[in-house]
Amino acid sequence: MPLLYPLLLSAALFGIGLYGVLARRNAVLVLVGIELMLNAVNLQLVAYDAWFAETLHTGQVLTLFVIALAAAEIGLGLAIVLAMFRATGTIDVDTVEREVEA
Amino acid sequence: MRRWPYVVVTALVSAAVAVWAIPHLGDDPSTSVTYRGNDVGPALPRLSLDTVVDPMAAQVMLLAAGVALLVQVYSTAYMGDDKRYRSYAWLIVLFEIAMVAVVATDNLFVLLIGWEIMGVCSYLLIGHAWELPQARAGAAKAFLVTRIADIGLLVAIIVLGQTYGTYRISHLIDAAGQEEPRNATAIGLLLVLAVVGKSAQVPLHTWLPDAMPGPTPITALIHAATMVAAGVYLLARLLPVFETSQVAMTTLAVVAAVTMLLAALFAVAQTDLKRALAWSTVSQLALMFAALSTGNAAAGINHLVSHGAFKALLFLGCGVAMVAVGSSALSAMGGLRKSLPVTFWTMTIGFAALAGVVPTVGFFSKDGVLDALHVATDGEATLGGATAWVVLVVAVLTSGVTAVYATRLWTSTFLGAPAPAHGERRAMVGPLLLLAVACLALSVGQELHVGIGALSTLVAAVGIVAALWLRDRGWRVRFGRPLADELGLDAVFVRAAPAVTLGAARMVDAIDADGIDVYPRGGAWFAQRASWVIGAVQSARVQVYATIVAGGALLIVIGSVAAGVGS
Amino acid sequence: MSLPEVVFLLLSAVVIASAVLAVGSRQLVHAALWLVVTLGGVAGCFVLMTAELLAWVQVLVYVGAVVVLVVFALMLTRSPTGARSAEVTANRPMAAVLGLAASLGIGATVITGFRGVRITGARPGTAESIGDALFTHWVLGFEVLSVVLLAALIAAIVLSRSGSER
Repeated sequence: MPLLYPLLLSAALFGIGLYGVLARRNAVLVLVGIELMLNAVNLQLVAYDAWFAETLHTGQVLTLFVIALAAAEIGLGLAIVLAMFRATGTIDVDTVEREVEA
Repeated sequence: MRRWPYVVVTALVSAAVAVWAIPHLGDDPSTSVTYRGNDVGPALPRLSLDTVVDPMAAQVMLLAAGVALLVQVYSTAYMGDDKRYRSYAWLIVLFEIAMVAVVATDNLFVLLIGWEIMGVCSYLLIGHAWELPQARAGAAKAFLVTRIADIGLLVAIIVLGQTYGTYRISHLIDAAGQEEPRNATAIGLLLVLAVVGKSAQVPLHTWLPDAMPGPTPITALIHAATMVAAGVYLLARLLPVFETSQVAMTTLAVVAAVTMLLAALFAVAQTDLKRALAWSTVSQLALMFAALSTGNAAAGINHLVSHGAFKALLFLGCGVAMVAVGSSALSAMGGLRKSLPVTFWTMTIGFAALAGVVPTVGFFSKDGVLDALHVATDGEATLGGATAWVVLVVAVLTSGVTAVYATRLWTSTFLGAPAPAHGERRAMVGPLLLLAVACLALSVGQELHVGIGALSTLVAAVGIVAALWLRDRGWRVRFGRPLADELGLDAVFVRAAPAVTLGAARMVDAIDADGIDVYPRGGAWFAQRASWVIGAVQSARVQVYATIVAGGALLIVIGSVAAGVGS
Repeated sequence: MSLPEVVFLLLSAVVIASAVLAVGSRQLVHAALWLVVTLGGVAGCFVLMTAELLAWVQVLVYVGAVVVLVVFALMLTRSPTGARSAEVTANRPMAAVLGLAASLGIGATVITGFRGVRITGARPGTAESIGDALFTHWVLGFEVLSVVLLAALIAAIVLSRSGSER
């Protein structure tokens, strides 16, 4: 298939993920947006690897790494969200700094 | 007894002035001695302490010194209980020094400084009892109206300096005498403007009667004998510089003629002794200016000195009467010759001098003025024969009216039914005696013009008779009301000047608010908006930060890609 | 248009639709569940690009672990459920603009660079070949990644404890 198909899909997914990060009120859903962006990146990496086809499999190995790091990151991120919830009672990213000040 | 030290100080100053001036009384006017003082200041315009004392100056200096000392003595009794006596007395001394400076100096700027100091002293002294609103108003009015005229003096000095290249009066007169005086009309008109304000001539005459809320001795010193006469002295001194200009001389003559008759008529209609004497002063000053307009400085100065003596006498006597009956209104006075005998006799001499009755000095000096006018009618002077005739007729008429109001005031104050009154005090009466003696003594050595003298005596007699006749009719006259209201000439100053000033001030304020203030306000508004915008960046909201980061990163990436593609 | 392409296009539609719903859904838990669909779709795309191992890892890690974490987090933070529980902020327009700009930018870049290129599938990403590459050439990165995971694990535990045992 044309290389462009996965690449364009990835571009769309990235934009959607960015919207989710910047527009969502709930902190957990912001993390969801981040996951979408990471998946977009993974798609690109795999696509390039499928096209390039080398023994190193750079793209796919890096995708593995990204998946692992994403898992670590979301685990840590959710721990932070929980800590924030315990401290301020809310995980609304828009109002949380006012709660912190108060 | 704390008042007497001031008298001593004033006496010392007056004595110093006398010692300085008396030797110059007999000087030949054409050669004057110049003292070398120290020069102060850089090149033009410059100040210098040089002085010139010719006989004319010497007379005026002696007048000023003498009246100041007498007023200071008089004030110990008149103002003895005043709580601001110290400032009052020191201001009299300062005033005397300023007057002597104006008279004796050879430098136009020192003259201007002395002129202005006199104006300031006048303001402070008229407003001495500043608790009274009319005193405050009178002081401010006097200062402001004379200030308007002083612009003329300042510009005249500058024009003189630029025309002749020097600010030394003696050099100016020499230069004007040798060649044809240049810019004579401009200088003449400017000087006329200056003296019109200072000496209260039409149209700037309204401040003098309104200065009457000041203490009476001050009125005697400043507004009768000296400060208002300084205008006459200035013109007399600088006469050679502008006497060739017919425009200036005619203007002066016309102003003088209008003022003398108008003020005399106003004086007749007054019901307040002090205010009537004020109008009388205005009228007599106009007489002096009339003499000057013919080019005869000697006649003008002569009348100045004699007027100083008898007007000071009249005002001081008026002060005695005011203390006696508690007010200056004519209605409160009457029959005071019993309770105030010395005052009665001295003021009779004073009123006689005012009316021009032989053998007082007033007769001789007024005749001198009339004679000067008569001499000018043959057309030899710059004034022009026709103008001189008109002024002469007006002056004769004025003499008649002067006799009328002098008689009216005399009879209303001293004759008739006695009003309740206290007695007179020695310190107040002493100066009166001295001045009365002076009124008679100064007649010695005066020139007698027989024809004019006969005419003026006749006119005075007619006036006295007319006054007595009017008295019998109870002083009911046609045109009494408008004259008592002084023809509403004051309305210009009272209404128009403040209205114009207020309008101009509002306009300036509007320009400042809309035209100039816009910039600082706009700058502040701009700074506020800018800080609001910048502050938005620091919103402490996570999403805003994330948005900015994402936007910035996108910009960088897309920008670099585009640049890479383009190159 | 061969079969893989058609399938890929269908899968793309699913992925995009579910992604839009994941970021746009008004209900919290619905958003999390739409994420599951998106990730599953991406896994399918991996398969179509001959990356079999990766597809399974994606399903295991993302769908199995990450989404579960998300749902648990929603539960533990007592997020409201029900309609209109997931609001968006006023940042929406700006976010939409930026998202669109990002998509267009990436799209334009890749179109410029890779127009007309085809995937040949010459070397499929089987477990054997990935494992070979991973443990021969990428060992260092692998080990470092393990350390990173350990650090993240410890950090998460510490963060979770500090609240209750302060």
